[in-house]
Amino acid sequence: MSQPKADVLIIGNGFAGIVAANRLADAGVHAVLLDENIHIGGQLLRQVPERLGRAVRHDDYVKKTGQRFIDAVKAKKITVLNRTRVLGIYPGHEVLVEENEKKIRTLKAERIILATGGREKFLPFPGWTLPGVISGGAVQVLIKSSGVLPAREILIGGSGLFLFSVAYECLQAGGRVRAVLERTGVFDKLPLLAQLPRQLPKLSEGARFLSRILFSGVPLRFRTRVLEARGRGRLEQVVTAKVDGSGKIIPGRGKTYEIPLLAVSNGFAANVELAQMAGCDIRFLDERGGWVAATGDDLETSVPGIYAAGEITGIAGALKSINEGEIAALAILHKMGKTGEADFHSLLKKLLAARRRHLQFGKYFNLLYKIPTADYLAIPDETLICRCEDVTMGELRKAVANGYDTPATLKIALRTAMGDCQGRTCGPIVYDILAALTDRSQAGMTPLVVRPPVKPVAIDSLAGYSE
Amino acid sequence: MTEKKEGKGFKPVPATENLRVASIKRQPAIQIRVNGRPLEATPGETVLAALTAAGFRVLKKSNVSGEARGAFCGMGVCYECLVTINGVPKQRSCMTEVQDNMEIQIYEPAQS
Repeated sequence: MSQPKADVLIIGNGFAGIVAANRLADAGVHAVLLDENIHIGGQLLRQVPERLGRAVRHDDYVKKTGQRFIDAVKAKKITVLNRTRVLGIYPGHEVLVEENEKKIRTLKAERIILATGGREKFLPFPGWTLPGVISGGAVQVLIKSSGVLPAREILIGGSGLFLFSVAYECLQAGGRVRAVLERTGVFDKLPLLAQLPRQLPKLSEGARFLSRILFSGVPLRFRTRVLEARGRGRLEQVVTAKVDGSGKIIPGRGKTYEIPLLAVSNGFAANVELAQMAGCDIRFLDERGGWVAATGDDLETSVPGIYAAGEITGIAGALKSINEGEIAALAILHKMGKTGEADFHSLLKKLLAARRRHLQFGKYFNLLYKIPTADYLAIPDETLICRCEDVTMGELRKAVANGYDTPATLKIALRTAMGDCQGRTCGPIVYDILAALTDRSQAGMTPLVVRPPVKPVAIDSLAGYSE
Repeated sequence: MTEKKEGKGFKPVPATENLRVASIKRQPAIQIRVNGRPLEATPGETVLAALTAAGFRVLKKSNVSGEARGAFCGMGVCYECLVTINGVPKQRSCMTEVQDNMEIQIYEPAQS
């Protein structure tokens, strides 16, 4: 049952995946593009429902570019497997997948591109598990994919440019935004600005978001943190505080919002689990946003024939993902003897120069919005950290004090990362907390081993599987 | 609580709020059932979106403490929006599109 046979299997159909698929198809290479989502496009290119009286689908340069790649994937009849979850990657490039949450089969390919993207990161606070506290990403997905507002009015808090994007989306859809609370200050880490040359398209997009938000009279509160969410069975109140430049709470400057919906976001983490399972080296780099797949310039990982492209190699946004989709495809075409030596080297050189700029851009924001150690240390004991197994910060503190000070021993002691989400949500948080509590860098830590099934699977599906 | 008649001869779950963006073109509504009570939904939207639009925030309870939980990540990562769909438990409502006559079970805490 190892079909359809593909030359290249691309896991993840966001920017990096669709760009690579296009380039490979152009050269006559059979690429199969799979993703667990219902529609092609990844998180950024979610299909926007058609609007009454307006033909606009995507309104900015990056998304228009992405839409063109999606249209091209469809036109070129590239095999696209949506709603297909990868459960495991085995030696010999065998990929175990589950289709439509029921059928399991094995796919095999000469080469694999891991374009698994990233996910949001969070700074837990008491009450963040209350219904009504949702991620910034969830707000965007609801609005963009289903045309539904999470509530008439929302409060947005956390840190990062993404907060503005969420506010913008909400306003565009006719919702109200009570305020945007950003943990950092406007002029914090000003020196990092030196790393921002030639990023005008991205800055102009940011400026557009910001002007829309300001024009709508939405208050922007800098150096403001969400301290606690309160409510009986669902969110009713959000308690906030002003912080100083070092992140310390300034007493008496807090505010309580009465609101049923809070959107939170604290940056992004790369989805490295499949790379880990495939045996690829991963490494920890603050400037890339945390743990990322390690690759050479050609984006090949430490496992021959397995490439990584997009956010999985470092959080830096769509332009880097497009760029890396191109690089991975080019490197594979070169390996397959489908591109001339001179062409390959001159094109690669150009792409790598662009990649360096994108990485610089990512570095600026990854360092600016890195959640400070002090913020983790200030998390109150009663705060839930692992949402699936209800493990609290107090339990983490106690376990670490008792010597359970690695991700693996913590997992054994407390069941963190053993629930339904398999550590997708709390994993990056637990690593950060562990580093904070033990005052060391994550670079020296061994992340949890990833075992199949990577995502929960029904026994029925497994029972129906035959080799 | 006020119940609004929506035609078609059935009483919908009291829609405390309809949060669908008005300017979006939609296909004719389909009917799903939430804990046995009818609710209108739009083809193409996720189960989570249909529930959200009708004002449902609580979807499940924690396996451990039993406290109420609702959707969090909205994109298939966190497993906080698990509901029973057509008798199959623990389905991610954010990753499943609504279909006509879908039966959905969610956790409803006792009204206080």
